[in-house]
Amino acid sequence: MKYDILDSPDFAFLQLTLNQGEQCVAESGALVASDSQIEVRTSMRGGLLGAAKRKLLGGESLFQNTFTSHGSGQRLFLASSAEGDMRAQTLQAGQEFFLTSGAYVAHLGNDLVIDTKFGGVKGFFSGVGVFMLRIVGPGTVFYASYGALHPVSVGSEGYTVDTGHIVGFESGVSYRVRPFNGFKGLFFSGEGLVADFSGHGTVYVQTRNASSLVSFLHPFRRVKSNN
Amino acid sequence: MHFEIQYNPAHSLATAHLNVGESVRAEASAMVSLSNNIDVATNTGPAGRGGFFKKARRGFFGGESFFQNTYRARGPGASVSLAPQLCGSMVVHELGQGPSLLIQASSYVAAPDSVDVDTKFQGFRGFLSGESLFFLRASGHGPVLLNAFGAIETIALNGELIVDTGHVVAFTEGIEYSIDKAGGGWIQSFLSGEGFVLRLRGRGTLYIQTRNPSEFGRTVGVMLPARSS
Repeated sequence: MKYDILDSPDFAFLQLTLNQGEQCVAESGALVASDSQIEVRTSMRGGLLGAAKRKLLGGESLFQNTFTSHGSGQRLFLASSAEGDMRAQTLQAGQEFFLTSGAYVAHLGNDLVIDTKFGGVKGFFSGVGVFMLRIVGPGTVFYASYGALHPVSVGSEGYTVDTGHIVGFESGVSYRVRPFNGFKGLFFSGEGLVADFSGHGTVYVQTRNASSLVSFLHPFRRVKSNN
Repeated sequence: MHFEIQYNPAHSLATAHLNVGESVRAEASAMVSLSNNIDVATNTGPAGRGGFFKKARRGFFGGESFFQNTYRARGPGASVSLAPQLCGSMVVHELGQGPSLLIQASSYVAAPDSVDVDTKFQGFRGFLSGESLFFLRASGHGPVLLNAFGAIETIALNGELIVDTGHVVAFTEGIEYSIDKAGGGWIQSFLSGEGFVLRLRGRGTLYIQTRNPSEFGRTVGVMLPARSS
């Protein structure tokens, strides 16, 4: 099996080549195209975000689309819904990685764990159905950013990121969410929250966020008439 | 201080690197992240520092109200990273010996205190489209951070150019400008969808953006559910 991330950094596109019996699990909606000997088994409706809307955070395990190759050199093409970049994070057994739910695209490795019960993040994000995933290796997880993916090394001096701009972070980094004490100035900025990161590790920041786009479009919506 | 711009042309990020004691004023909505040795103050000062727009209606600049924060470095290695709402590029225009810069309000992002941004400068109100065109004047010395929807083209103007108003980012003062209808008459302009243009004549620098935010907003906005206010 091999993989390539094409068209990075603006419209990243994942190409996987799977041989007989090899599998890839992906967020539903991520499929762009596949060769004809790739079998798709959908075991969950709506993907991770859809499941969140159904309040599955109470500990139900999540299911996704499982792609299995029944031939050699079968290609599978995946993409996230937002324009931007994509990256692969390969984890050793027991190694943790944290992702916001919308950033997850796919993963390789049947032993990789995606833990949605990862707690302590109530109110982390303003968006409905946005939550934190705790990924544990071994395996490789593919994740995407809205906009460019900007890694920041957090050290002893710490670093603060608007919560709408967080893609994920390595273990070794901890955070505290608080309201930002400045103007946020956006109609749909949510609670105007920031996360103060500390510890040692990399935080992955995205250079665009959905709330800003929504704020931009809001005044262009028709106004409901009262008749 | 200086601005470092990354990830042009589509998903630009600008990081203001500040020395101890230095500060930068930036559009509040543009903040992505910052180091922990920065003090943040909201601008409640005189009109020239954003006070004028504090009472501006939401939606004045396409949903971005003109609020600014001042970020001041308390320690070494301080930085604040900024990004616009839409996909596109950012560019820095250096003010110094040359002329002031006239900036379409929604294209202005940030500048240090050595740059004065006059927010009461000039406005043109669209007629049929209801769209407003507002310019700020940036003068003084130092870097001015601008954003664009789409890519930014820098044009050395020497003569005359007619530019659709939605595509104007900024131009140097000294260039003569007048607003005009794109088409032959009012109805023509309205129906053609081309609206208004800026007639520019003279010598100077002109920045244009390759996409038109109002056009995008109108096209998509009408497809979204109606809002109650």
